[in-house]
Amino acid sequence: MIEPAPAQYTEEFEVNMGPQHPSTHGVLRLLLKMDGEIIKEAEPYIGYLHRAIEKICENRTYNQCLPFLDRVEYVTSMSCEEVFCLATERIAGMEIPERAEYLRVIMLEFNRIASHLIFLGTFSLDLGAITPFLYCLREREDIIDLFEMTSGQRLTYNYIRVGGVAADIPPEFVPLARKFVNMFQDKVDDYEAILTENPIFLARTKDVGIFDKDMCINYGVSGPILRATGVDWDLRRDDPYSVYDRFRFEIPTGKVGDTWDRYMVRVREMRQSNEIIRQALDQLPEGGTRAKVKPAAFKPPAGEIYTRIENSRGELGCHIIADGTTKPYRVKLRGGSFTHTQMIPEIAPGVMIADLVAIFASMDVILPEVDR
Amino acid sequence: MAYSNPFWKGIYNLLIGLGVTIRYLFSHAITLQYPTERWPMPERSRGQVVLLSDKETGKLNCTACTLCAKACPTAAISMDRYKGEDKKWKLSKFDVDFTICCYCGFCEEACNFDAIKLAPKYEYSSYDKESLFYDMHKLQEVGRDVDYTPKRPKKKAAPTPAVDAEKTEGDVKTDSEQPPTQPESPNDKPTKPEGDK
Repeated sequence: MIEPAPAQYTEEFEVNMGPQHPSTHGVLRLLLKMDGEIIKEAEPYIGYLHRAIEKICENRTYNQCLPFLDRVEYVTSMSCEEVFCLATERIAGMEIPERAEYLRVIMLEFNRIASHLIFLGTFSLDLGAITPFLYCLREREDIIDLFEMTSGQRLTYNYIRVGGVAADIPPEFVPLARKFVNMFQDKVDDYEAILTENPIFLARTKDVGIFDKDMCINYGVSGPILRATGVDWDLRRDDPYSVYDRFRFEIPTGKVGDTWDRYMVRVREMRQSNEIIRQALDQLPEGGTRAKVKPAAFKPPAGEIYTRIENSRGELGCHIIADGTTKPYRVKLRGGSFTHTQMIPEIAPGVMIADLVAIFASMDVILPEVDR
Repeated sequence: MAYSNPFWKGIYNLLIGLGVTIRYLFSHAITLQYPTERWPMPERSRGQVVLLSDKETGKLNCTACTLCAKACPTAAISMDRYKGEDKKWKLSKFDVDFTICCYCGFCEEACNFDAIKLAPKYEYSSYDKESLFYDMHKLQEVGRDVDYTPKRPKKKAAPTPAVDAEKTEGDVKTDSEQPPTQPESPNDKPTKPEGDK
């Protein structure tokens, strides 16, 4: 005689997602309380990649800090250097040669494209589409070659310095950059042909992980995630630094704030960055690339400043307290990824675990910026 | 599309995506077979740290001014020096610890005598940690075949004849009395780099 099946019951259980998980983009550990496939609670544990970079900077001269700041966020190293140099230059009241400002903008926008390409590749990889990853890294390789011929390195450039940039661009840079800029819009069309209207992609992203506009503002979210919810906020336009006020570009925004919007905002941002580079290459003036600074004996006056720039992941801020010596008294970095990771407990409940992978990938968090 | 049915719309968009991949199927490959083929490295590429030596005399260009060791953010360079009979600083020890070197290139920038350079060499990984501590002679041997352009070609003849005595000899025959007075010029080198910047 067959016994009747016991009444169906569920039991909540805890799952560790990470720190060694391919779709946590680093070493994030998420402690998930699951009910079957549905997440009841999620709690991020961070700190696995803590390297005390802010403390290290207190024991180095202003110039020596830069190689460490490269490693804060190694996907867009240029912006970490830019925000630190911007803060130091504002404390010291330094004037930068105009050519250096344009070179900085060109490098920052190239780096934004490279970062968004990494996002696009890993995001599609997390959703199961392998092809765009290879295409994206192919185009990123072209950008990295440009960086390598200019600065000498492929990842940790150490190119933007206090008072300008390390060296002028080599003569073959501008033709190659123009070639990339002219070719890139077609490549973005290719990515979009594969992904944007693909039914599988739409099923995984449309109306998944909708972020509320007010919640995003309350949490201090910035960058493409905030713009995907419909808030028109970009520091390049609203708090201009460097020479961004001389370029014409649009700020792409989304409507709903779901995963598909976040993807779409970044794709359109790549096109806009491409146009900024095109304008910057057209306007690139002649002249020197570095103000007169003694690297070892550079002493900004005592003071305190907070600068912020628009990184590819949101607002990247740097708070420097200078005490009149050759070393900063305190360096505090504010990364977008840290703020965005805080949102996970808010958005995860009620979401399937496979959708959490898609949501987290669409937030484009990188962990070295969280832990620093 | 004749059909507004989402099914046919999905099929249509799938085919568009497949068209892209099929187009790339017939384009040429962009990858290289690494051990047999290599990309050319750019001139500025920052790889292994080497010590440069004079092509003709074979002696190190280094004047032991310690500026590179001071500029190093990770303290990967450790050096010792002594004063020779001709009152010139000589290197007695110059070690680079490649396990902590961060390849930032500050040592190359600080050097005024074309003595240290980050060469475009990258194939020196090993299973043995000990083999990544390079001493003076090893660094010199690695740097033998590295080409470099002198940093200050103009000022070369006058202020630093000591380093490139052999090179300037050919060009400037008139100051043939300069080589005996070489030892004087490196003595003021601690002040010179700061004055130049």
